[in-house]
Amino acid sequence: MLNYMKKYWFFALLAPLFMVGEVSMDLLQPRLMSTIIDEGVLGLSNNNVGNLNLIITTGLKMIVLVTLGCFCGVMSGIFANLCSQNFGNDIRKDAFEKIMSLSFEQTNTFSTGSLITRVTNDITQLQNLVTQCIRGFVRTFLLFAGGIVCMLTLDLSFGIVIACALPFVIICVIFFISKANPMFSVLQAKLDRVNNVMQENVSGSRVIKAYVREDYEQKRFSEANGSLVKTQLDVLLLFSYMTPIMNIILNISIAAVIKIGALEVQAGSATPGNVMAAITYVSQILNAVMRMTMIFQTVSRGVASGRRINEILVCTPTITDGSFDGKTDVRGKVEFRNVSFAYPGMRDKLILNHINLTIHPGETLAILGSTGCGKSSLVNLIPRFFDVTEGQILVDDVDVKEYSLSKLRDKIAIALQKSEIFSTSICENIRWGNPDATDDMLIQAAETAQAMEFIETRPEGMQSAVTQGGTSLSGGQKQRLAISRAVLKNAEILIFDDSTSALDLKTEARLYEALRKHHSSVTTIMIAQRIASVKDADRIIVLENGSIAACGTHQELLAESSIYQDIYNSQLKNGGEIDG
Amino acid sequence: MANNNQSLSNYKLPGTRGPKDRQAVEKPKEGKKTLKRLAMYFAAEKKMLVCLLVAVVIVVLCSVYAPNLQSQAIDKISEGHFNELSGILILMLIVYGIHSLCTLFQSRLSAMLSQSIVKRMREDLFDKIVNLPIRYLDSHSHGDIMSRMTNDVENISNTVSQSLSSLVSGILTIIGTVLMMLYFCPQLTLLSCATVILTIAATKFLSSAMRKFYRKRQVLLGSLNGTVEEMISGYKTVVAYNRQEAVIAEFNKTSDDLTKTGIIAEILGGSMGPVMNVINNIGFVIIAAFGGYFAISGVISIGVISAFIIYAKQFGRPIDELAQIYGQIQTAIAGAERVFAIMDEECEDKSGTENMENATGVITFKNVNFSYVPGKQVLRDFNLEVRAGHKVALVGATGSGKTTVVNLLMRFYDIDSGEILIDGVNIKDIDCRELRKNTAIVLQDTVLFADTVKNNLKYSREDATDAQVEEAAKMNNCHGMISHLVNGYDTELTPSGLNLSQGQRQLLSIARAFLASPKILILDEATSSVDTRTEKHIQDAMVKLMENRTSLIIAHRLSTIQDADCIVVMDSGSIVESGSHEELMRQKGRYYELYMTQFAGNAT
Repeated sequence: MLNYMKKYWFFALLAPLFMVGEVSMDLLQPRLMSTIIDEGVLGLSNNNVGNLNLIITTGLKMIVLVTLGCFCGVMSGIFANLCSQNFGNDIRKDAFEKIMSLSFEQTNTFSTGSLITRVTNDITQLQNLVTQCIRGFVRTFLLFAGGIVCMLTLDLSFGIVIACALPFVIICVIFFISKANPMFSVLQAKLDRVNNVMQENVSGSRVIKAYVREDYEQKRFSEANGSLVKTQLDVLLLFSYMTPIMNIILNISIAAVIKIGALEVQAGSATPGNVMAAITYVSQILNAVMRMTMIFQTVSRGVASGRRINEILVCTPTITDGSFDGKTDVRGKVEFRNVSFAYPGMRDKLILNHINLTIHPGETLAILGSTGCGKSSLVNLIPRFFDVTEGQILVDDVDVKEYSLSKLRDKIAIALQKSEIFSTSICENIRWGNPDATDDMLIQAAETAQAMEFIETRPEGMQSAVTQGGTSLSGGQKQRLAISRAVLKNAEILIFDDSTSALDLKTEARLYEALRKHHSSVTTIMIAQRIASVKDADRIIVLENGSIAACGTHQELLAESSIYQDIYNSQLKNGGEIDG
Repeated sequence: MANNNQSLSNYKLPGTRGPKDRQAVEKPKEGKKTLKRLAMYFAAEKKMLVCLLVAVVIVVLCSVYAPNLQSQAIDKISEGHFNELSGILILMLIVYGIHSLCTLFQSRLSAMLSQSIVKRMREDLFDKIVNLPIRYLDSHSHGDIMSRMTNDVENISNTVSQSLSSLVSGILTIIGTVLMMLYFCPQLTLLSCATVILTIAATKFLSSAMRKFYRKRQVLLGSLNGTVEEMISGYKTVVAYNRQEAVIAEFNKTSDDLTKTGIIAEILGGSMGPVMNVINNIGFVIIAAFGGYFAISGVISIGVISAFIIYAKQFGRPIDELAQIYGQIQTAIAGAERVFAIMDEECEDKSGTENMENATGVITFKNVNFSYVPGKQVLRDFNLEVRAGHKVALVGATGSGKTTVVNLLMRFYDIDSGEILIDGVNIKDIDCRELRKNTAIVLQDTVLFADTVKNNLKYSREDATDAQVEEAAKMNNCHGMISHLVNGYDTELTPSGLNLSQGQRQLLSIARAFLASPKILILDEATSSVDTRTEKHIQDAMVKLMENRTSLIIAHRLSTIQDADCIVVMDSGSIVESGSHEELMRQKGRYYELYMTQFAGNAT
């Protein structure tokens, strides 16, 4: 991670340097003030006759110094921000790029939510860490150290006050932090609970109303909320002691400085101006200690975030690129050779078990089977979303592992069951299939996918905006957009991963009709639930517990396969009657 | 010179989301009205509020008076009256002691005040949300409702309770300081005002510039988060279409913009401190120079100069603070407006009183018209009679109005015209609780709660005994499945019930409906998200559930409803045909066509 800093070492160096400038000016100020008071106003060395000229010249000097300090402060801020934000930006971009190269097993282990937090929140924490280190820490430390030095040079005896007060402040701070930190995790858990009850109520409102449980839910929420508020109050009440206690320590220290100062002045070894300067230094030093604890909190949070981001950065995609450029004579052939598959981390639970299957160019293959039988896994292996555990998959007679990933995926168009639609216009969503497509090609694809009929009813047609998550579209509309996108890609192999489940049968039938008409040369693999969807396929395979239980045409399977008959009957109980 | 009173109180509670410093400010639309309503929440805590104000006043008095003591002490030193010093110092410590004590009370009171308001406001809001008509929840983003509940409420209470103290103490400090300054030396006071003018000008200029960039940053941050969320959750599609590079390019652009804006915003924000420092010191020099002049000419003592220096500092701080508070309060009021907007929504109509004790379950729809959005009629002159104990199936294409019938029967939505009767009684006259208690519903999207299996089943009947729960489970073929879970009936379901398969979840929700032993049962696409063989299993469970009950079934797959007493085919909000499976097949009408499509896959 430090490597990211290298590029900005110059800024990282300048920021603290300017900070030294700013702090020095801050530290010089009380001294000048003391001169103004002692010499200018009181005229101590001039028989108690004030010197207005001295006040004005010293005053002007002070203003110049302070302006210089201001300049240094602003410059330090500029460099610190240039450094930390560019640093954060570089990491953010690299982290995102890395995520975009990860394999699915990796994104699945991280979980979507956690990846999002890492790219957003954690980066901000990391930026804060950098700013705090090169700016906040430097400033606080300099104020602390400088304050002590200046105070001691005024008079050594003031050091006693600091020596006495410091341990109290430190103990106090440690006490509060150690008490409060465990409370914060409790607080978070309670907050999650309230959010959870809330979430359940908002999304399950129909069930709550249907079973008339409003009162119960109110009670449940009231409990969760009460408990959250109580914890929150506990934390706040704990911290309510902090400020007054710190103030008391500070004020006693000031009184002590005045008292000691008086003795010194009486003895002639200090001046009233010195005492006033000492007061400023005392509060500076004690404040620095307080601020230091806050900086440590930021730092520890930042370090934790840094670790989480690093986990992403050091990840290497488990699926590695091949070198084959994808130029083949055969187009659209898929072959499974003795393929077994288990999800990474669950190696003992085979999802697919020794599958042997060849899909020929231009063939339409349908896959049928119950939930969890391995249908989706089977097609996910073709574009190498996952790698086989055992065996081999060949696309156009070349092992998929030899292909360059992008060339392999260029050959395949896939529409998923949970259609992923992005918040841009409808036409941009479809254009993902082929960024160079002309408008005519877009319309053609949408027509094939039976999407035109609903696109046309929208006032802005193809240009209509889609809300995030596609919430402005129905399930069937989203699926048709995803299919349009796949069709537009005009790839050798077209895969429908249960992507017509939300279409009614008529629309689905028209879709397949159109596909046959315009894309007959494309190898099509479709996963479906309904017999009606698959019965016209060239070949149907029935998957059961990760193995091919039956394979053949609709008529063949109907005659031979008991599982197929079973599914058939479950969907069309009195199927025999239709002929009559 | 020592700004000892305030500097330490800047310590912020780590980890909490206090009011955001100088963040983008939202403008409320009806500030005054909302403020009045907010005040009502505070009014309920009158005692606490009064105590808080008293504490604040004392704190302010102490912090205005203490510098005076400090300057007296310095005076005594410079005048050489060392023996009088101890008295002043003791008095000073007492004043600071009182100050600290009152600060303690102030922070405790404001903590209690804010938490009690959060609690009440959240409960009020929740009570409202629970009683809102389904129409509202269907037409509003759930994320938005959640955010009002958590973020907005917290923001309001934090801001208002903290700002209230700061507002009062800020104003009092200014007044007190000015009075003290005038008392000591009117001439110097006037000169100090120069600093004030500078402070106000600088604050105004810087914060308006800052606000612009903070707002822009907020927008960019939102769009960056949106991109990340979308692309990571849609990652499969991104990969399948080789779009990684394009997506990364888009992300990088937003990220770069965000960085640029962020740098400017932060630099402006960070400049505030140094600039204020300069202004303060200019003020100091003015006071020292003119004070020195006055002191030489004998108008004032040096102690007064020392006091003035502290006062001038004390004076500038609240002005800077008040500017911030103004922005915070505006943001909080905008949040309050959003919260009150929900509270102002109308509740469900629950005015009915008739009970359903003797109802047999005859359902009648008479000339019912309904639309979700005015102008887009969903049900047109809809008429349907379901006899007691009958099983009626509604079929038809998506959008034909099947689910709407259910929504209306459960009074999730109210009809525009016509009437719906149960045993001859208009459902508007039936006690809403009675109506729903006697009507159980199983939905396509199963809703289970993060609770034990047992409590989930008992959700439909709180007073059910364990034996009854078990019996219901047995009747629905899910006793075996539940027994196989780690802790049987006491197994905790994860939020949103992810540790169960879709089929298992559906079986549980059917058992739940069974336990309710309703007079009317509604199944709305209850099995369409499971595969057909699992469906068969669930269906067997449902057969028992439907015995001797009036049932309304909505199904996508015609295979599931062939044994219904009556099948109703709907199209664009009207009934096009109805009858038994055999009758409809003979008619060769719409149902026959649907049936053939489902079987043959091709439209005839």
